[in-house]
Amino acid sequence: MADAASAAARTGGGARPSLLQRVLARGPIWLTQLALLAAFLLAWQYLPQVSVLKAMGHLFDPYFVSSPVRIARELYNLATGSENSPVIWGYVWATVYASLLGTLIGMVLGAAAGLVLSNFRFLSEVMRPFIIGMNAVPRIALVPIIVIVFGPTATSCVIISVLVVFFVAFFNAYEGGTSVREELVQNARLLGASNWRILTAIRLPFVLAWTLTSLPLSVTFAVITVVTAEILTGVPGMGSLLGTAAVTGNSALTFAVVITLAVVGIAITLAADALRARVLHWWGR
Amino acid sequence: MVVRSTPAPVTGRSRVASTPLLEVEQVAFAYPGGAPVLDGISVAVPEGSITGVVGPSGCGKSTLLALLAGLVQPGAGHIRWSPDTVQPPRHPLTMMFQKDTLLPWLNVESNIGLHFRVAKSPLGAAAQQSRVAELIRLAGLDGAEHKFPYQLSGGMRRRTAFLASVAPHPRTLLLDEPFSALDEPTRIGIHQDIFNIVKREGITVLLITHDLGEAISLSDQVLVLTTQPASVFKRFDIPFGAERNFLELRENPQFLALYGQVWEQLAVQIRRSRAKGGERGDG
Repeated sequence: MADAASAAARTGGGARPSLLQRVLARGPIWLTQLALLAAFLLAWQYLPQVSVLKAMGHLFDPYFVSSPVRIARELYNLATGSENSPVIWGYVWATVYASLLGTLIGMVLGAAAGLVLSNFRFLSEVMRPFIIGMNAVPRIALVPIIVIVFGPTATSCVIISVLVVFFVAFFNAYEGGTSVREELVQNARLLGASNWRILTAIRLPFVLAWTLTSLPLSVTFAVITVVTAEILTGVPGMGSLLGTAAVTGNSALTFAVVITLAVVGIAITLAADALRARVLHWWGR
Repeated sequence: MVVRSTPAPVTGRSRVASTPLLEVEQVAFAYPGGAPVLDGISVAVPEGSITGVVGPSGCGKSTLLALLAGLVQPGAGHIRWSPDTVQPPRHPLTMMFQKDTLLPWLNVESNIGLHFRVAKSPLGAAAQQSRVAELIRLAGLDGAEHKFPYQLSGGMRRRTAFLASVAPHPRTLLLDEPFSALDEPTRIGIHQDIFNIVKREGITVLLITHDLGEAISLSDQVLVLTTQPASVFKRFDIPFGAERNFLELRENPQFLALYGQVWEQLAVQIRRSRAKGGERGDG
């Protein structure tokens, strides 16, 4: 059959380029990137030692901008706990744990709300202004209230990140639920599906898929929110370390924490992307 | 194999004399606040037959199917379904839509078995599985069972959607311009497979199409509708029987002659539609 044969040819695909070919193709780009990074680090390290520049102000004063060597030493100390430094892993874990928990709870609640509202037109019309209003509130402004209720605890940090993630997930879930085409519903109904089965077998998978596409964004928002909440409440975590660094005027510690946060952020985003691609493999390209 | 006995129209009484499965009598329909779409349309559909419906663009063909599927209610007239003589009664009606209705997260096998996933079926799990496997074999989808919709060609997607509407053993199947997006060779290949399956299972089919060749080659009767508001303009009996070779049929002089006759009537309506400033796209 013609269409079967053409599909087989399509999925067969061309041969992937070998590792060597890829290195040769990408090599000049990688080398240039590496050179740029090296130039930046060298400038950071050595420009403040030029006395003319030093006189120009804070931007070239290692007390304020630190230096790659100091930051590297700080990172080593944070990782090993040497030189009376706090060990960073507990703080990293506290922040990551609160972020992941906040993401999970926020996404589940957002998906549930999106499913219900996208399925019941009346309810969604009623709720619309409230949701838009709530989403317009800067969530960080709620930190004092939440701290009064739950105290300066990890729970407070989780709750605030839930408040942020919920809306990201909800809007995606709602979009997914309303994007279900009418003929999919009619088709299922003619095949004998009840309203309940249409909700669970047709609308729910769309809602979950759309919610999941927001995972990398949601988890990034959660990390930012949790760190901010930790700075404001002093709950142990990367945010509280930043607070300590600011109070003690330790710029090397500040940069070390920021770099660690960036690495953690990239790792979480990559993991979220991989999870999404795996679960939603059927979404095609 | 799980093929139910088909209500053979050849036993005793002649087909014409027996009560039609579906009688549409003087049905009228208008969308709220709109001009009438259907005006006094009457159709009789014998059990086990295929009825092709053609007409100018936007004449209300798809509205007719929506009425039959119960998606909208007629403004006037009657739609009568005769009680099912097969025991236990078959699944009453399914529809294959013009737009894709495959669920992207289900593979071919699961999409075909969608009915079994969303509704109660008298078949046990094993019978459901063998039903799906049998359909896959009949439509030549072997080897594609575990592929996902995005991995399929247009023709394979349509085959899968067709099998999904056939899987519940429906008594009636509505086809709403199901193959309009396919190229001609792919389309004729599909015609052969769906004709064989539909005839073998005794499913009564209503086919809405733009493609006159498709209507004539697949059908036992072809209805030409008038321009909107639509009623039946002409009815043609198609005498090619229950065994057809779709490649040969296209060269058959009788087919070509019929094509000319039906086209002549259709052209009358297309000209009227043009004169009214029709061609509003799809009805």
